[in-house]
Amino acid sequence: MVISADLITGILSFLFTLLILSYLIGDNPLFRIAIYIFVGASSGYIASVAWWQVIWPRLVSPLMFGSMLEKGLLLIPLIGSILIFMKVSPRLAGMGRIAMAYIVGVGAAVTIAGALSGTLMPQVMGTINAFDLVAAAGRNIEAVEVVFNGALILAGTVFTLIYFHFGARPQADGSMKRFRLIEILSWGGHIFIGITLGAIFAGVYAAALTALIERIASLINFIGNFL
Amino acid sequence: MRVFTAVIAIAAGILILGGYFLQGLFPALADVQTLLLNWAIILVGAATLVGIFNLISVHTDKVRRREKGSTYSAILVICLVVTLLLGMILRPDHSAMEIVMNGIILPSEAALMGLLTISLLYAAIRLLRRRTDLMSIIFLITAAFLIFSFATLPFANIPALGTVGRWVTQVLALGGARGILIGVALGTLTTGLRVLFGADRPYGGN
Repeated sequence: MVISADLITGILSFLFTLLILSYLIGDNPLFRIAIYIFVGASSGYIASVAWWQVIWPRLVSPLMFGSMLEKGLLLIPLIGSILIFMKVSPRLAGMGRIAMAYIVGVGAAVTIAGALSGTLMPQVMGTINAFDLVAAAGRNIEAVEVVFNGALILAGTVFTLIYFHFGARPQADGSMKRFRLIEILSWGGHIFIGITLGAIFAGVYAAALTALIERIASLINFIGNFL
Repeated sequence: MRVFTAVIAIAAGILILGGYFLQGLFPALADVQTLLLNWAIILVGAATLVGIFNLISVHTDKVRRREKGSTYSAILVICLVVTLLLGMILRPDHSAMEIVMNGIILPSEAALMGLLTISLLYAAIRLLRRRTDLMSIIFLITAAFLIFSFATLPFANIPALGTVGRWVTQVLALGGARGILIGVALGTLTTGLRVLFGADRPYGGN
């Protein structure tokens, strides 16, 4: 008798959903077993993906079958990889710093470019474009509404940024205090942050609820197939 | 060694940044950037494998010392090694690996996400009991209002709720989110620049 891959997947899926949802009645050994299996399987999967989709096609395969130029250029990452693997041994771990420094340097540069072109500029432009009356007229939105909403968005952005301004000056009695204006505006930021975090919470909660409903539906469907 | 690692980090960072912002002036920088990024991807892949080996080593030590919870560690190591061997021999796109992905990893992630429903609800109730200030009240009212305004209610569908809910998310929450995002981007920028100036050396250069 040959058991199909779909049946094995279905049984495993049913079992792991049940074991993990057993946490609802409290922390228990079955939940822990499922979690440790999940972490082990995920780590093994990630390691095999790292090997077959990064190390093999970008390093090992070109080193074995590539041109002389490719092989020459890959000597540096090969040495870097060997240095990183030295971190496994406590005696040689220091050598891995060279490769780690390279990764950190590249990561910092990519992060700076990403923060500038991916977050800072688009968010600033988005705040400015909220006042775009021409684009709003194209969508049949009244100018008053655009200006009002744009002003609220601008106020939310500025007040929230001010909330995180912690610069203070010493007072005559020795205590530190922020400027009164900053204090007032940061109170407005307080409200906007509360609303934003509430909206994020609602989004995450809706996603979690959807996942729970999907899992419960999968359990019912699985049992239903055998009835 | 400290100076050498700092020089490597700064030089790699500056060349990559040059590739982003100066490739109009120096077209060759784009090729250099691609090469350096390819090297970095390889090194990150190697670092991932080292991380996995470290996980195996930590849990194997726990099993060897018979520490509390060593049975769970043994389960973790066995599952990790079996999945790793399967993945290495059969490749990640093999049907056996698909069973691991669709039978263990995805259902577990979805079920854990589902558990979050209860945890978040519990956290919200605790927040109201422990810290009843303006921020908490605004936070909970907004969250509850948005959940109800976007949910499909069985007894009635109130169009005004959806309209106000959309306005709250697209205007009020957007303003706050923009402020937070710009703040995060400014912080990221500062941290990145501190690394490139050598003021911060998180790679172990003090």
